[in-house]
Amino acid sequence: MDSWVIAMMLGASLFLGGIALAAFLWGIKNGQFDDATKMMNQVQYDDEAELNDAANQQRKQEAAGKKEYKPE
Amino acid sequence: MSKVKCDHCHLEFTDDVMIHDGEYRFCCKGCQGIFHLLKDEGLESFYSKMGDTTLSPPTDQFEASSNFDTPAFTERFVTTTKENLLQVSLVIEGIHCAACVWLNEKALHRMEGVIEAHINYTNNKARITWNPDSVKLSAIIDMIRAIGYNAFPYDASLQEVRANKERKEYYLRMAVATFATMNMMWIAVAQYAGYFTGITQDIKTILNVAEWFLATPVLFYSGWVFYRGAYYGLKNRSVTMDLLVVTGSSLAYLYSIYITLFEKGEAYFDSVAMIITFVLFGKFLEVLSRKNAADTLDIIGKHIPREVSIIEDETIRTVDVNEVKVGDVIVIRSGERAAIDGEVLSGEGSFDESNLTGESEPIFKRQGDRIISGTTSIDALIHYRSTKDFAHSTLSNLVNLLENAMAQKPSIEQLANRLSQHFSSTILFLAIATFWSWFFWPHSFDRSLMVGISVIIIACPCALALATPVATLVGLALGAKRGILFKSAAQIETMAKATMVVLDKTGTITQGRPEVVYANLFHPFEKGVLYTLVSSSKHPISRGIMEYLERTEEAMETGVIEEAREIPARGMVGRSDGMMVAGGNALLMQELGIEVTLSSDQSLFYYAVDNVLVGVYELRDLPKEKAYASIERLKKSDLRVVMLTGDHEAAAQRVAQEVGIDEIHSHLTPEGKAAFIEQAHRDGHIIVMAGDGVNDLLALAAADIAIAMGNGSDIAIEVSDVVLMNDSLPSLSEAFGISRKTYGLIKQNLIISLFYNSVTIPLAMMGYVIPLIAAISMSVSSLLVVGNSMRVRWMYK
Repeated sequence: MDSWVIAMMLGASLFLGGIALAAFLWGIKNGQFDDATKMMNQVQYDDEAELNDAANQQRKQEAAGKKEYKPE
Repeated sequence: MSKVKCDHCHLEFTDDVMIHDGEYRFCCKGCQGIFHLLKDEGLESFYSKMGDTTLSPPTDQFEASSNFDTPAFTERFVTTTKENLLQVSLVIEGIHCAACVWLNEKALHRMEGVIEAHINYTNNKARITWNPDSVKLSAIIDMIRAIGYNAFPYDASLQEVRANKERKEYYLRMAVATFATMNMMWIAVAQYAGYFTGITQDIKTILNVAEWFLATPVLFYSGWVFYRGAYYGLKNRSVTMDLLVVTGSSLAYLYSIYITLFEKGEAYFDSVAMIITFVLFGKFLEVLSRKNAADTLDIIGKHIPREVSIIEDETIRTVDVNEVKVGDVIVIRSGERAAIDGEVLSGEGSFDESNLTGESEPIFKRQGDRIISGTTSIDALIHYRSTKDFAHSTLSNLVNLLENAMAQKPSIEQLANRLSQHFSSTILFLAIATFWSWFFWPHSFDRSLMVGISVIIIACPCALALATPVATLVGLALGAKRGILFKSAAQIETMAKATMVVLDKTGTITQGRPEVVYANLFHPFEKGVLYTLVSSSKHPISRGIMEYLERTEEAMETGVIEEAREIPARGMVGRSDGMMVAGGNALLMQELGIEVTLSSDQSLFYYAVDNVLVGVYELRDLPKEKAYASIERLKKSDLRVVMLTGDHEAAAQRVAQEVGIDEIHSHLTPEGKAAFIEQAHRDGHIIVMAGDGVNDLLALAAADIAIAMGNGSDIAIEVSDVVLMNDSLPSLSEAFGISRKTYGLIKQNLIISLFYNSVTIPLAMMGYVIPLIAAISMSVSSLLVVGNSMRVRWMYK
């Protein structure tokens, strides 16, 4: 029975670690670590206005993306 | 008077020169304009974000932004994305702080139609995506300029994109490998403890399965590069280190699966992960320090004019360089660079040909003279008829030659690569031999296979793979601290093997600008008047005189000169206190009716007041400081030192004697310099070439190692492998010292790892290697190599 405890603990911790790794890989692929200097300063530009701006940009992107699928 | 800060750029000025605008103070109209623009746009939080940084006040000498909308520009720089949006890569000029990045991004985001603006703070490169239906690129550029920055296009070439992608891929592989190996370590601790103190088989199997689970992505995802490398190696019929890594880790992996499933013996999953991680780390360091050849050609492209003005039916029209036909009449204004060869029809003035010839003296051109593309007009407004089209002009030829030279650049095989081939085949042979001798001794198949695999595992070149990259990294850091930038790690080794060093004269051995070496004054005169006279000219000789006066005259009051006028290729004349003053060369004096009898092989500057010669200055391009001692040191380290120059024999001899160079070649064209280097190659030399100008480009590209001076032309810096930031000759000899030290370190590291293997391999062959020993031996050998490299780093701090 006790061997199952070990197996479960191993499995659970590897699973959690795996999630962290997946998040890190997503960050790299997403280009979040491309610019080390900018990344370090990013914390200064992290307020409500920034969020609004990001959301606005995303809306623009989506609108531009839709443009193509318009049936002609 | 106390100084106040400009509210935009934060530079300090006295209050009375500032523009007063309510409670605000501005140093110039530009700053004021930007300040109000930001306020209107609601972006004034920029000022609180920028903190203590100061900005450079805006300039307004921009070429028209409508250039950015032309089809020629679009074709060259703009790409279309999947969603039918346009994308351009720009370099933003004037970014000083993180707030500048913020400001640019925000200002652009606010524009209708800008879908994405992404600016990299480290290299100031921006990627902007926009919707062509709602905004034009010129409007985007105008916005960037309006907030006080400027933007240049650059070709985000395929190669650069690919290089970045490769780097990112390595990051991902490294992340996975590191994660899995680190987690495997703590599982392995339980395994090792169980090995010595006893462990039940079912726990052991659970641990093995967990390790199997972790080792799989390491081997097949992170280790994929080795499979690829081994495959291409085999295709070229060579046994590479990759093959050794792949065979060792794959066999160990399969064997461990077999152990796990049949529940007997010890699994080697931890060794598999460790080998891949260590060797991948070494490879990653190599990729990081590899030079990106793509950037080089981009920069060269930037120096080629893309448009010229031609006269057609009495009107001036701007056309793409490729559209110009032979016989078209081209207008070139002062400060412009000629893109096309031709012959002067009308107008006259001086041209700076130092780009091509290396001679600092401007060349005077008038009707009938030849214009060479790549040269810059200093003060001439000239109409000339093209004699060749763009593709056949000197500049294009030079660029083509350069591209060829760079593609054919010889690569010296690195010691570690050569060694690893022999090493890999030896180990593979030993492993097979061990397996067969155990099998026929006789032992069970399992046992023999395990011993055979353990030979490969223990020999796996962790230390060997780290030996070179770690040592070169130390060398790079040592150089960087002394202002010697090696652009690519592999070049350090090549430089250490060099047998010949070739130096350009102007700008490399000498300072590249004339200095007064001798002044002969016949009559006393107002030095201040002369100072004002020469300061009106940008000619290098005038600059030399100016510097000399600033240095020698203490209390000099600048005189007033009226009607100052520059006579091309002669000098300057003007009027001061009713007296005619004239300064220039012998030709000017003759035209003024003054007889000059002095002659010298150096440049002479005559100064006359009211047609009476009052002084003569002799100017010369002097060698740099400590040139003699540095060249002596180069010679002592068994290098053949050669000087090449486009200058005439006498000037070359004189400099050579002063700095102690015996072998000189003068009167060389850029192609001649390159030819000399190619000849030396054929004679078996490994050549280091140091130069600074465009005229050295071909030679730099042809040499094994190209060294550029930090204040040389951009292109020379791009083409080169090593840049000497402080421009000095002592750092040239120091660069040699560092490269040789680093090469010594590489050799030491290789010896350590080989010695280590010669101890552990017999152990493995005798069958003493359990997983714990394999893990320890791998870590210790890697630590030894890294530690040895760090030792050098601390020693030379």
